[in-house]
Amino acid sequence: MGAFIDARTVPSGTTVHADVAIVGGGPAGITLALALANSKLKVVLLESGGMTFDAKTQSLYQGSKIGAPYVTLEASRLRYLGGSSNHWGGWCRPLDAVDFEERDWMPYSGWPITKADLDRHFVKAHEMCEAGTLYYDAAAKITGGIGKPLALGPGGITTRWFQFSKMRSSVLPTHFGERYAGDLKKVSRLSVYLWANVTRLGLNPSGTYVRQLDVATLDGRKFNVKAKACVLAAGAIEVARLLLASNDIVKAGTGNAHDMVGRFFADHPVPRDNAVLVLFGGEPAPFYLGNQTTHGAILRAGLFPSEKFRRDHEVMASSITVEGKVELDALGKAAVATTANALGVDAANASYHSLGCGMEVTPDPDRRLTLTDERDALGMRKLKLHMRIASQDFDKYRLTLKELGRQLIESRIGMVKLNLRTRDEWYASLDWGNHHMGTTRMSADPKNGVVDANLRVHNVVNLYVAGSSVFPTYGAANPTVNLLALVLRLAEHLKEELP
Amino acid sequence: MKTVSRRQTIWLGGAAAVLVAGGVGGRMLLRKRYAPTPYDDLIALVHDRDAAAQIGETVLAEVEDFEPIARAVSLRSRIAGRPLAVALTEDAAKGRLVEGGGWVLPETLGLICALAAKAAG
Repeated sequence: MGAFIDARTVPSGTTVHADVAIVGGGPAGITLALALANSKLKVVLLESGGMTFDAKTQSLYQGSKIGAPYVTLEASRLRYLGGSSNHWGGWCRPLDAVDFEERDWMPYSGWPITKADLDRHFVKAHEMCEAGTLYYDAAAKITGGIGKPLALGPGGITTRWFQFSKMRSSVLPTHFGERYAGDLKKVSRLSVYLWANVTRLGLNPSGTYVRQLDVATLDGRKFNVKAKACVLAAGAIEVARLLLASNDIVKAGTGNAHDMVGRFFADHPVPRDNAVLVLFGGEPAPFYLGNQTTHGAILRAGLFPSEKFRRDHEVMASSITVEGKVELDALGKAAVATTANALGVDAANASYHSLGCGMEVTPDPDRRLTLTDERDALGMRKLKLHMRIASQDFDKYRLTLKELGRQLIESRIGMVKLNLRTRDEWYASLDWGNHHMGTTRMSADPKNGVVDANLRVHNVVNLYVAGSSVFPTYGAANPTVNLLALVLRLAEHLKEELP
Repeated sequence: MKTVSRRQTIWLGGAAAVLVAGGVGGRMLLRKRYAPTPYDDLIALVHDRDAAAQIGETVLAEVEDFEPIARAVSLRSRIAGRPLAVALTEDAAKGRLVEGGGWVLPETLGLICALAAKAAG
């Protein structure tokens, strides 16, 4: 039997030995620990929190921010077993092949791996998310009994599908800590340390090898873990912090010889009520408006720019969702009546819905995390986020919405109103996906990123990063199932690499 | 059974005629009057001229150098005697769109609305 150990009971000065040390007990860390369960590797998983929320532990996330409006650094993450899956919405969707490609119109694009390198891991990743059989773009074949997708004419926007983690108590999807605690306990060569905060990566003098992880508890215990391989799975903000703060050997920070750690921070802006969708013939099919369960899967349709449209028009990924009903003002009523009449269509039963969206942002090296001189309760330096959003990101999403409007008119089924234009208007509507990405981006060349195609930190032979911090570009797909596919690929690599 | 006299019938008929004429005339009097323009033929393609003018005001805010006569000439050429709906779907197919107050409109419709706004003064 594996063990759950309260780190506050470990005597100070203890050294724990393992083959693999995983820092962070969120979806990535838990999935990796379970994926290594069928190996001979002795694994230690170090989780900062316990089994439930603890305010003192959560406050270790505090930091500051400047620039564009953004949530506070402690608001969108959770620091206990299961990590941020404890407030996850359960949305799943694999990235598209184009998301991995280098595009000359998208600066800093191009992953050192392709979608095909990940494809075989999605079934298991989906299983970990408890999201049922993978249907996605084949979902139209099984949802005929619920309704029909919009009959959009030819063009750049198509109906595509999200799938969802299994719901509990009607609303809550898989909480990885609660769901997999029992499975973790069954792994004989795994020890899970709760309340164990990694405060420093102790490198060898040449900075090429992690000799030990320094661990501290909030009640003052200090011990260390020595492992053949260390995997940082603490989320895109904390991983960058730990690398930057581990700067006693490499002054710029571990893995930061080229000043790339903490740069390219990204999230998915979610501009609420950014447009109005009018359908002349009435309500859209129910699967556009909310989750529908069929054939063992929970599905919801969205409107997405096709890969061809993205390439042809040089637009970023986005996922448009149909939200609640809205009322039209006098101008809106005039526009709908006049347009429908001119198109020879009856709009007596027209429906009006707000549109939401998850937007991709352009990779930006100056949207970054840096250390401040302020320290947390464990003495670790806090972070400051400089948040930025390029105007072209909003402009390109607007172009995508306009394409939807064009197709609706051409097919004579509806029309669109764009609600937002100026930066102030976009900012006022802005919410976030809370999908932290990009701060330890994957790259073939160490000058352009922090980890290589195997997720190993460039020039540190036994240090890896697991999580969406390695995404060089972000797509509009929800990251969880994608980062889990990467984690499962990493597990295969570790099993091969470690004797 | 009470009968209606010929005189009463004439009175009732006359009263009804006055009411009908008054109603029609009243509507004629109340209806917004527009000075004739050289592009009334285009404006007549939309079913509600007042609504079109309302939309057109927002389109004019988006379109630079809007010269009504020249626009009317090019719109007639574009519509080419076809049903308006055909011209509008062709606009959409060719990506000819215009915004008015955020509404994404087929360009031909948006410009006709702009003409209606011009005509409304």
